[in-house]
Amino acid sequence: MSNTIATDSLFSIEQRDALRLLARMIIPSTAAYNLPGADDDLIFADILESAKANEAQIAESIDFAMSHDLGSGVSIEQVASELEGHPAMAALVSLVMQCYYRDDRIMVSLEVEPRAPFPQGFDVPQGDWSMLDAVQKRGKIWRDA
Amino acid sequence: MSSDIDFSPVDVLIIGAGASGATAAWNLAETKMRIVCLEQGGWTNPADYPTTGRDWESRAQSDFSINPNRRQQPGDYPVNDDDSPIKIANFNGVGGGTVLYAGHYPRFHPSDFKVKSLDGVADDWPLDYGDLEPFYAENDRITGVSGLAGDPAYPAKQSLMPPLPMGKSGQKLAEGFDQLGWHWWPSDSAIATQPYNGRDQCINLGACIYGCAQGAKASTDITYWPEAIRAGVELRTWCRVKEINIGDDGLACGVTYFDEDGVEQFQPAHVVVMACNGVGTPRILLNSVSEQFPDGLANRSGLVGKNLMLHPYASIQGVFDEPLDGYRGPHDSIWSQEFYETSEQRDFVRGFTYETTRGRGLVATALTGVHTGRIPWGSGHHEAYRKLHNRIAGMVAICEDLPEEHNTVTLDPWIKDAHGIPAPKMSYKISTNSQNMLDFAVARASETLRAAGATDLIIESPLTSGGWHLMGTARMGKDSKNSVVNEWGRSHDVKNLFIVDGSIFVTSAGVNPTRTIQTLALYITDQIKKRLAHLFD
Repeated sequence: MSNTIATDSLFSIEQRDALRLLARMIIPSTAAYNLPGADDDLIFADILESAKANEAQIAESIDFAMSHDLGSGVSIEQVASELEGHPAMAALVSLVMQCYYRDDRIMVSLEVEPRAPFPQGFDVPQGDWSMLDAVQKRGKIWRDA
Repeated sequence: MSSDIDFSPVDVLIIGAGASGATAAWNLAETKMRIVCLEQGGWTNPADYPTTGRDWESRAQSDFSINPNRRQQPGDYPVNDDDSPIKIANFNGVGGGTVLYAGHYPRFHPSDFKVKSLDGVADDWPLDYGDLEPFYAENDRITGVSGLAGDPAYPAKQSLMPPLPMGKSGQKLAEGFDQLGWHWWPSDSAIATQPYNGRDQCINLGACIYGCAQGAKASTDITYWPEAIRAGVELRTWCRVKEINIGDDGLACGVTYFDEDGVEQFQPAHVVVMACNGVGTPRILLNSVSEQFPDGLANRSGLVGKNLMLHPYASIQGVFDEPLDGYRGPHDSIWSQEFYETSEQRDFVRGFTYETTRGRGLVATALTGVHTGRIPWGSGHHEAYRKLHNRIAGMVAICEDLPEEHNTVTLDPWIKDAHGIPAPKMSYKISTNSQNMLDFAVARASETLRAAGATDLIIESPLTSGGWHLMGTARMGKDSKNSVVNEWGRSHDVKNLFIVDGSIFVTSAGVNPTRTIQTLALYITDQIKKRLAHLFD
C-alpha cells in the first residue's frame, strides 16, 4: 500500500514532513519582525502547490536532505550546516523563497504593496538631470572612422 | 488548418517573425509582392505576461525563462550549450527576442564598422555608419525610442521621447561615475515614455525581460507586425522549418516545414529571407543538405556556423546602506561608455558599455543573498534579508566579442527537437582579449560602486545566463571566400537567399545588437526593393 497523499499525489508523507521541516530550517518564524516561518500553513500550502511544476527536482532535494538523517534525532543545526549551499538543495531553496516572499504578510512587513506589478505600476523619481552638465562639458568621446 | 493555406508559390518567404523578420516583412510589404512569414512559435497575449500576477518572479524561472532549455514551450527547440560557459537565451514566437529583451537600444558607433582599419583585428564591415544612419532613423521612428539627445559618446542622433527616469538607483550610480570623471548618459531605450503610435507609456512595472504587459516596450509583435499584416503580409504561426530546398538551377525553390498539426508541408518561394538569429539561421542552413550543398546551404565558404560571438557580460552589483529603486522601474536607466573605444593603455583592444541595473524583486533578492552566502538559513535570515532589500544596484558590462572560427554553431548528433529536426550545439570559449576586458570592467565598476557608496560588492563574471546576443555565424563581406552573404545580405552561393539577422554581423560591437539588427534588415530589404528588376544577377 502506497503512503502517498491521495489528495494531491505529490510526495510521500515522509517527504511532506521533511519538506515542512526544511522550510522551517531555511526561514524560521521571527518574533523580532512578528513574521511566520516558511512552514506556516498558508505559505506551506503554496509551497506544496507550486512544487507540482518542478516535482522531480524538489523530490530529489528532499531525498537528499533525508539522506542526512533529517528528523531522526540529529540536531537541526547540524543537518542545516551540511545542507546549506549544497547544489542539490538549490531547487528546493528557490521554491521556498518564491512562496515566502509573495505572501501578503511578508510583503507588507517589507513595505511592499501585496499586489501584482500590473496594472498599477510603480512610481520612480526622475532624478537630477542637471548632473549631465558636467558630462557634456567633457566633450566628445567617440572616434571618427 | 492546412486545408485553408494557399501553397502556390510566394514571392518572398521569410523564416522567423522576430526582430529582423518583422522588420523585413514591414519594409517589403509596400512592394505588393505576396509575402509569407513562417514562425515556429505563436503570438503571446500581453495579458498573460508574468507581471499580471503575484507569481511573476516564479514564472520568470519557468514558462517565461530566458533559457529555452528551461522554458520548454511548444515553440522552443533545444540548444546544446554544454560546451559554452555562457548559456543560450532567446524567445521563440512572434516578436522573437524582443518579447523578452530589456529594451536597451544603443546604436553601433562609427568605429564599430572599421575594426580592422582602426585596431588591426577581425575585419571591417562592408558598409559603414553613414550607410546605415538613415535606416537607424527610420527604425527608430517605427520602434519609438526614448533617450536624450547630445550624448558625447555618439554622433548626433534624434531622440523621439524623453528618457526613462534615473530613479534613486540611476542617480546613485551617476554620482559614482561623476566622482571619477567618467562618462554616463541616459540609456537609449525601446520603451515608450509617453503614448506612442497606439502604445501606452511605461509605468515602471520592473520586469521588462519577462514581457511588457503595459505594451510600452517595443517588441515587434506590437510595432512592425500589426502594420505589416495590415499591408498584406501573411504570418503563419506554429510552423517550424526543417530545411530550405534547392532547385536544379541552384536557386532556393521553397522550404519544407512542419505545420501546427505536425504535418510536413512544402511552400514554394521565389525569394527566401532568413531571420532566425545567430543560432537558428546556421541550424537551418546546416540542416539543408543537398548534392549541390553537401556541407549545408550557402556554405561553400565553410563559414556557416563559425565565428559565433556572444557578448560576454560581467555583472557588478553594489550593496548600499540606503533604499534605492529595488523592484520598481524598467531595467534600463543610464549607461557609461567611458571605456568603449580602444586605448593603448589597456591589455585588450576594443571596449564595452556599462548598463546600470536598478535593483531586483523580493525573490531575486533572497536568492542572490542565499546563493552568495549573504543570507543564511535559520534565525539570521530575516535580519540579513533586510540588509539587501531594495539596497542592491549596479551595472553589467557588455563586452565586445571578436570573431574566432573555433566558436561555432553545429548540429548536435544526438539531440533533436519535437519534430525530429537536429538541434544546434554551441561550442564557445571566452578569448583572452574578452577575458582581459571582463576583468578590467569588473575592476572599474567596483571603483565606481565604491565611489557611489557601496559597502559590499556582488560580482558574477562572466554572467553565465547571458547568451542573449547571437552573432557572426553567417558573416557578411564582399569576398565569397571569407563570408556567407554579400554587402547587401544576399548569399554568395544562392542568389535568391538573403539573411537579415545577427548572424551576418562581422564584429559584435560593445552594445546590445537589436537596433542594428533591425536597421540592417531595413537596409537589406531596401536593397532588395531597389534591385528587384535584376535581383538574381
